Amino acid sequence: MTAAATRTGAARPAPPSRPPRRRRRRGEPWLDWMTLPALIVLAVVIAYPIVRTVIVSFYDYPLLMPSHEFIGARNYERLAADPVFWTSLRSTAVFTVASVVGGMLIGLALALVTERLRGPWQLLRGALLTPWAIPVIVVAFLFRFMFEERGGVVDAVLLRTHVTGSSVPWLTNGDWALASVIIANVWSQAPFFLLVFTAALAAVPGEVVEAARIDRAGTWTMITRIKLPFLRGAALVGALLMTIQNFNNFPLIWAMTEGGPAYSTTTLVVYVYRLAFTKYDLGYASAVGFVWLVLLLGIAVLFIRVLRGRTA
Amino acid sequence: MTARRTAAAAKESHVTAGTARAPRRRRRPWAARSIAVVIIALFAAWTLAPLYWMIATSVKSPLEATNLTPTLWPRSFTGANFQGLFTGTVPFGTYLFNSFFTAIIAALVAVLISTLAGYSFSRGGYRLNGVTGIAVLATQMLPLVVLIGPLYLLLLKAHLLNTYFGLIVGYTSFAIPFGAWMMKGFFDGMPREIEEAARVDGYGRLGVLFRVVVPTSIPGLVTTAVFIFMNTWNNLLYPLTLVSTNARQTLPAGLMQSFTGTFKTDWGGMMAAALITSLPLVIAFFAVQRSMVRGMTAGALSGT
Repeated sequence: MTAAATRTGAARPAPPSRPPRRRRRRGEPWLDWMTLPALIVLAVVIAYPIVRTVIVSFYDYPLLMPSHEFIGARNYERLAADPVFWTSLRSTAVFTVASVVGGMLIGLALALVTERLRGPWQLLRGALLTPWAIPVIVVAFLFRFMFEERGGVVDAVLLRTHVTGSSVPWLTNGDWALASVIIANVWSQAPFFLLVFTAALAAVPGEVVEAARIDRAGTWTMITRIKLPFLRGAALVGALLMTIQNFNNFPLIWAMTEGGPAYSTTTLVVYVYRLAFTKYDLGYASAVGFVWLVLLLGIAVLFIRVLRGRTA
Repeated sequence: MTARRTAAAAKESHVTAGTARAPRRRRRPWAARSIAVVIIALFAAWTLAPLYWMIATSVKSPLEATNLTPTLWPRSFTGANFQGLFTGTVPFGTYLFNSFFTAIIAALVAVLISTLAGYSFSRGGYRLNGVTGIAVLATQMLPLVVLIGPLYLLLLKAHLLNTYFGLIVGYTSFAIPFGAWMMKGFFDGMPREIEEAARVDGYGRLGVLFRVVVPTSIPGLVTTAVFIFMNTWNNLLYPLTLVSTNARQTLPAGLMQSFTGTFKTDWGGMMAAALITSLPLVIAFFAVQRSMVRGMTAGALSGT
């Protein structure tokens, strides 16, 4: 209530008013032509591959062989009966949801506790941001190294502090491997949420916080009642961006586990890659890829709806 | 009741806050303060420990780095791992150069094209705006992996596998949609009056863009360029599939391949390579950190 009142009132500067659409602008088609280079590149490198993917998905198409044969919808029939497809769909969901939720919670906690750091302590926040700048490939190797079964530092520390009795099969057991990949991913993405939430917290109008303090709101009330409502927009946009990114997160998983052991860390993108470039079965890979594309499109539409609803 | 009082208080304090900074340093409750400290300490450890481990391992001797009971504090300080990268069997220097070369060219080309497109979205006929917002989000969602098969066949036919050109085209195309969107966000924040004044002064259309708009939006350009550079530097899939010769390989794929071979047990060398691979990105990131969030979220926020 209070928050909304102040937000529309004193705190927020009026949005810069757009000059009304003038008829003159319609007479400047050169502005539209400026998108042409972008459109050409997109047509060649994105639109063409999509069309080609759809076509190839109806063929038996060995990547390195000249022979391809039209087989109708048989790739899709195979897909419906393919258990690996369904487990990778599940892994994709688990990986994405766990990564986004984990990263968001850590980022939020960090943003809240580092909010009032002043002076040299701000360097600490800078340090906490570092993982986001670390290349994904390095994150993958680093965690692979730390999770080593023999001589890995994580196990060494856990054993020495007697948290665990025996070494954990981090990357050699299916479920643990998925967990390890998620841990590495959360480590590298939490700073993104820290950045997003820090920016959003800075935009919380000072009067509101001040008023709540005068009302003797405790720290907890302050966070849950005053600050969190202001962060909803940032959380939504951040979660959206990261969901998209994690749905298609190939490098981290591939460099850490190559989708293994067996298929336990194989998400859909990894599965498509394995089919196309280790089994050279481009036809079936295209079918899987196309189904994934359609699923993603559905999710994208959903996201756009959510965003629209929020801004409306 | 409370709500009304808070609203009144808000108005009041707004007045004081506007004129002079109200003395607001009240001690936070002891409990909240110590919880904050504990959380910071925990997460600082969680964030910094892996980084420490990378640096510590990179200066250990090969024997110590692969020790089955790892030493938390390196006993042997040596630069041999770094030296080994450039003298050993893995062409690390070549990878490094290739990564820099392709990422910089891709960033420059993509920023140029994104600037044109972004300016058009921001200032041009509004008929494209709604569609492009959705198109950008959609292309962001496109899995590279699905498109890489046809792209591979295309480049194979055009004899562009194992070339810088093939890599750069791939990198650029995927950077453009989001780049254009970031640039649109930055252009939207610029007043139009300057451009109109420049038009009156007799500048041509492209003249306005390149002499007036671009110079004033350098921070936005740099942020977008860095963003694209970072994405490109991180790209594993393209070099892995489109390049098979060491002479054209970039760092991610190169390290990945040598990791399964030469580096298999050489964790010290691996971590030294990891450290060098990280440095350009860390530096670039911190240079533009502040405007990065704005650029990344502006598109998503204003886009619909």
